[in-house]
This record gives sequence, C-alpha cells and structure tokens, in this order.
Amino acid sequence: MQRAVGGLPLAPALRARLVAAGFQTAQELLETGPCGLSKEIGISKEEALEALQVVRQECHGDATRTAGGSSATRKCTALELLEEEQAQGFIITFCSALDNILGGGVQLTKITEICGAPGVGKTQLCMQLAVDVQIPECFGGVAGEAVFIDTEGSFMVDRVVEIATACVQHCQLIAEAHQEEDNLKALETFSLESILSHIYYFRCRDYVELLAQVYLLPDFLSEHSKVRLVVVDGIAFPFRHDFEDLSLRTRLLNGLAQQLIIIANDHKSAVVLTNQMTTRIGQSQSTLVPALGESWGHAATVRLIFHWDNSQRLATLYKSPSQKESTIPYHITSHGFRDVQPPAVTQNAEDTGVNPRKRPRREEEK
Amino acid sequence: MVVLRAGLCPGLTEEMIQLLRASGIRTVVDFVSSDLEDIAQKCSLSYKALVAVRRVLLAQFSAFPTNGADLYEELKSSTAILPTGSPSLDQLLDSGLYTGEVTELMGAPGSGKTQVCLGIAASVSLGLKQPVLFLDSTGGFTASRLYQMLQAQTEDKEEQLEALQRIQVVRVFNIYEMLSALQELRDRLSQQVMSSMGPLKIVVIDSVSAVIYPLLGGKQSEGLAIMMQLARELKTLAREFSLAVVVTNQVTRDSSTGSLKPALGRSWSFVPSTRVLLESKEATWEKATLQRVASLAKSSRQPTGIQVEVDIG
Repeated sequence: MQRAVGGLPLAPALRARLVAAGFQTAQELLETGPCGLSKEIGISKEEALEALQVVRQECHGDATRTAGGSSATRKCTALELLEEEQAQGFIITFCSALDNILGGGVQLTKITEICGAPGVGKTQLCMQLAVDVQIPECFGGVAGEAVFIDTEGSFMVDRVVEIATACVQHCQLIAEAHQEEDNLKALETFSLESILSHIYYFRCRDYVELLAQVYLLPDFLSEHSKVRLVVVDGIAFPFRHDFEDLSLRTRLLNGLAQQLIIIANDHKSAVVLTNQMTTRIGQSQSTLVPALGESWGHAATVRLIFHWDNSQRLATLYKSPSQKESTIPYHITSHGFRDVQPPAVTQNAEDTGVNPRKRPRREEEK
Repeated sequence: MVVLRAGLCPGLTEEMIQLLRASGIRTVVDFVSSDLEDIAQKCSLSYKALVAVRRVLLAQFSAFPTNGADLYEELKSSTAILPTGSPSLDQLLDSGLYTGEVTELMGAPGSGKTQVCLGIAASVSLGLKQPVLFLDSTGGFTASRLYQMLQAQTEDKEEQLEALQRIQVVRVFNIYEMLSALQELRDRLSQQVMSSMGPLKIVVIDSVSAVIYPLLGGKQSEGLAIMMQLARELKTLAREFSLAVVVTNQVTRDSSTGSLKPALGRSWSFVPSTRVLLESKEATWEKATLQRVASLAKSSRQPTGIQVEVDIG
C-alpha cells in the first residue's frame, strides 16, 4: 500500500523528521527496518520500533479493508443504511407533537442538541428521555439503558422518581387495555427500581473532567452494551466561564463533538446535549442565539430550540437532516414532558384524573 | 525529496551512494542541483557517469511540459459536467459540477449543505446512473431523506433501489481515517477496478472542517500540515482521475467585523476552484423557511456575487 508518510498517525515531530529524511511512502519505512530507521533519523531503537508498529497496523488495516472486511471501516451502500434506519427505533418523548416534528422521536446514532433559556425545560426533557429509553420494545420503546453526565448539578432524583412512576403507570394502563402476554411479562421487569438502576449518573465539575469522561466513555459502553442514550446536561457550562483562550475552546469542543459522534455511531445510541443561550447584539436589535459560537452549531445533527411565547413554552426544530423546520407548544406537568392538549387516544385515567400543573416561570424549585 | 538509493537508476551503485553521502548529497534534489565537476573532484567519480545518472534522474523525476493546445484537447475529451439536481444551482455553477475540480459549499448550521449534497448524490445516481462515493464525517447522512428525494424524482421502485445501491457511504470521523479512505479510493481507481455500475465520477465529502478543526490553531502547526496534505490529496485525485470533488465547509464569525467568513482560513481558500455560500433568507431562527440563497463567492468561470434561490424542500 502506498500510504504517504505525511498521512500516518505518528507524533508530528517524528513525522517531520521522516519527511525531511526523504521517506515518502509507508512501504519505504517498513523496508528500512527499525535499525536503519533509528540510524537515519537519530531516534532510539525503541521509538523506531513503536513507530513501525503503528505503520504496520495502518497498512494491515488497509489490506483487510481492500480484501473485503468492511466491518472496521463503516462502509456501506445507501440501501443498506436505509434498511438499518428503518429498523431502528426512536426514543419517544411522551409529547406526540414533539415526536412528530422530530420524525418519530429522538433518533439513535445522531447527536441532538437542545438549546434554551434558563427554566424552559431542558433538564426536564433530559430526565424524561432517560426514563423513556428504557421502555420495553412491546410498548414501542428501545429497551436500553441511559448514561447521564451532569455538569450543572441539576439532576434531581425525586423528580426522576415522579417521571418514572408516571411512565410505569402509563405502560400498565396500555397493558390492561390490550391484555397481551408479552406486555404483562415485560411489565414485571419494568418497575421503578429497575428504571433507576439503569440510569448511570456521572458528575463532572469542570471541563477537564468532562473531556476525560467522554473520552473514557467508549470503554464503559463496551461493558454496558445495552446503553442507548447518553445525555450531557450542560455542555456549555464548563466551557463558558473561566476560559480565556477561545481558540483552545473551539478545538476542544470540536474534538469533543467528533468523539461524541463516534460514540453515537459505534454503539448505536442517541446523544443528547443541552446548551445555553447568549445574546448577539446586532446593528439595531439583539437576538438570543445558542451559546458556544458558530462552529459549535455544526457539531449537532439535530437542533431544538426551546423558548417562551408569553407564558406558553414552544419548541422549534431548527436544524435537521430529514425534517422541516417547525414549532410546537408543549407542557411540563407533574408527570413530566407532555403535550398541550393530551391526544384523545390515550388512557382516560390520565386525562380526567390529573390536573396538568404548569411549571411556574421562574427558577425551578425541585 | 526522494532519497538516493542503489538501483534507482542504472549506473547508480551502492559505493557511489556512499561517496555522495559522505559529501552531503542525500536526495535526488541535492544531486541534481549541485555542481557535477565539483562532486567528480571531491568524490573521485567519473564526470561522464555522473552526467549520465543526472540525465536519467531528471527524466524520471521531473514534470514534462505540455503545450496549451494539447491540454485543451485533453480536457475537452475528459471533462464531464455533472448536474446538481437543482437547476438554479446548475446555473450558478455554469451548468453543473466540473470534473477535475474541487467545489466547496459553505454555510452556517442549518443552511442546507447536507441537503444539497444529498441532492447531488441523488441526481447523479438516478439521472446519470453512475456511482457516487459519499464520505460522511458529521453523522448527518440520513438515508431516509435521500430515499424521499429519490421518490420525488421517480415513481419506479426498482430504479429507486438501484440508485440507492450505487451510492456508497463511508463514515470517517477523524482526519487519518479520511486520508486512508481517500488512499483506498486512489488504489481502487489506479488498479482500474471497473465496477458493474460504470466509472466513479464524483466524490462528496461532508464535511471537511469537522475533521480538521480539532487540529487547527494553537502553537503547533501540525493541523496546517495535515490540512495541506488533505488538500493535495483531493486536488490530485480530482485531476488524475477526472473526478468532481464536492466538499462542505463551515463558516465562522469574523471577530473584528462580525460578518461570516469561511472556516479553515486563508490556506484552504486556495484549494477549491469554486465556492458557493448558502444562507437562509431570514437571518434568525424565528421564521421557518425552505428557501435558501446560494451566492457564488469564488469562481474561475462566472462573475462572483451572483445569487440564486435554491429550494431544499
């Protein structure tokens, strides 16, 4: 394989030396051997051996790929991708209007970003999704587990208990209405304790911990292969205060974004991030825009912006590869994230028995 | 910068190389640019032998000039113009995407770059019945949206499925994976592995900035070096194999003037021959719209600044 030396994943100083010494392709490197290499460039034999190891791995990787092993390279035709996508489930949010504009719910293998002013309901939706991802498949869920990375400290367990109890009740009502065996069997394992025990919670206090956590996540996920949702609540918070070097911030954020995309793709899970809003002052007016700058806008595949309209909460789908832009209203009740008018098809007990209590428009006291 | 080795050309023996190295001549460039009489004296080698070796090395390693008429004839016969699927965009690009060139689409998030890329893939695969290579580095490739676009263009289910099969998607999430995917493409093309679907004419890369951004900036210049490596790879692929290469790029905000400018800096701006900026008509996210405005920011054929409306519905 004629891999150019400039494109090999070696340390930059080493690479510069190799190019200066006149090596052009990986083949030449392998032919020279470690002793010759250490003499030509002036590095120790161990370093030369290590470098050759990396080169050999790359070349073998290439060889297996051309021989037909496509599992390592994520290569496929659009038809296969279509079949995969159609077989994949969505994580429902219990707000059918939001599910509709998202095309069925939060998609797996994609990064979804939720931006909004304080108090509008971002953490509520994250907690709702952490519960909803565990709904068994016979009820229309993906039966997965959730990883919750918290940087702001806004995760309240008692609220999750409320949401989970409501979700279990909802499923019980469906099971009673349809009386199928699978449903009843699944309900045995779908209880409050099991829901709470399948949410893996991490608390990161600054950006270094957050980066470390995300880079260590693949190992965690390979042990817990049932995880289908990774929530990072508050990706803006550690990066906004106390960061002088803006170009470093951009680089770190982009690296983080690529790492999250790799996690989403390899482990077939959805990644949900929450972001803050900042003001952009234009010539004549100022607008609220998502924080972390223009380049961060490209990291997420799907972007939802939550905002207020007088006292009604609205969700706008701003960026999506397959759905149109649209805005819908939603409510946050004691049961969690819900529609404004509950659809007529749901269980009666939920409609009449409960008063949807609007969350007051101030800092949420949970 | 090829190192002199025995057997590089007849007449270049191992002892010659050792003697040359002793006087500081290691690469072909050093040899060709040095004074041969001087070397003949210093290394006690025959002048005639050195001249013969130099002639062979020059023949092997230098580029041959060709005249304009031949070049024109060659380009006329090998360049193809591929439709983008949107007639207004074709008009902007002077009837379509030219092979042998790199075209760049840039825009803010949500401006429709991925949609236009999907549209291009759909139109080439369905309209021209040619294979497409799509390198996805953002995770934004949604096959169901592509299927929707194909369904809007033709009713025949067989054709839709065939068109989907012609589009090959490779997911690369860091720069080394992207370079190795391009290397693989080059090997495949140079071995002339003819697939049953016809020759590959277009490569779409969405997006280039996502893989380069984590490396740029700071004190190391490694990012810049890798970016230029990628640039060289793309341009030589486009030229040698007559491919149309479409890349997407981000925009960043200029800190001094507050206006949007393309990402990746000045060095990258020399790479694409044509640059199209996509914007939504309304500047804020409060009004939803399906219309996008495409303006020509750099072109070697059309006057810059012309704008057209593109529908990404």
